[in-house]
Amino acid sequence: MRIAIDILIACSVFFAFAGVVGMLRMPDSFCRMQSSTNIATFGVLGVIIGGFLYALTVLHDTSMAVKIAVLGVFYIVTNPIAGHAIAKAAYRHGVRPEKDMTIDKYGEDLEQND
Amino acid sequence: MKKTTFPAFLSTALLIYCFWLLITGQIVAIFQGRASWEVLVAGALVSGFVSLFTARFFIHRNAFYLLAPKRFFSLLAYVFVFLWELTKANVDVAFRALNPKLPVNPGIVKVPADVKAEYGLSMLANSITLTPGTITMDIADENGKTNYYIHWINVKETDPAKAGDAIKGTMEKWIRRIWD
Repeated sequence: MRIAIDILIACSVFFAFAGVVGMLRMPDSFCRMQSSTNIATFGVLGVIIGGFLYALTVLHDTSMAVKIAVLGVFYIVTNPIAGHAIAKAAYRHGVRPEKDMTIDKYGEDLEQND
Repeated sequence: MKKTTFPAFLSTALLIYCFWLLITGQIVAIFQGRASWEVLVAGALVSGFVSLFTARFFIHRNAFYLLAPKRFFSLLAYVFVFLWELTKANVDVAFRALNPKLPVNPGIVKVPADVKAEYGLSMLANSITLTPGTITMDIADENGKTNYYIHWINVKETDPAKAGDAIKGTMEKWIRRIWD
């Protein structure tokens, strides 16, 4: 069981690392947000599931395990709303990618409506 | 603003009470026979009081909608469908970030949403945002049809319907099964 927990946590560390590298390397702020979602999903889920199993099987503390699981559910449910709000606010505020986008339907439709 | 109906009040209160039991750890204590009745009663009072004010924001239709077995099991199945989509997207974006050439091709596409229910729409939007590589930026109604504007890190299709198939994958089918 300890091995399974270690594998889970190692996986999530790998995804968190990839996310950080992506955040540093991506060309503009929207792509950086995409990369940060990497950390927010698998980077966190691995640690949460690993911690859940650790509390359940090694520490034998069921109430701690339940709390960790609830934390994970809340995290998954609330996180995308923040991501969506940041992306929309950035675009409406006038942040534009440095690299040309292949297609920008949102900008076209916004201009039409103004 | 809609009025608070009793079923809406009851379902919100039950949901809040469930989370109270989970977070205070009482759910485990009940099974082990050492629950403290003070905590249980305090939780019931607080959840009743809170849901008096919040029920009308959450429930607009049938309050015990999700408890129909077909919908409930679709929801459970959706967890695994979503985890599979999440895995694929995570691996894709992680290797994109670590690739020395950094193969990104960003753009914002417009994608039709074929879900009618409000909760289904927001659930699909949140699922899309949560998969790495796509972020929902806005939802707009246009001639009676609902559209998402989605920032996509690797634009393969610019046609709305085809891009929709590529982004939403199997998720939309399952969400329709849950909410519509």
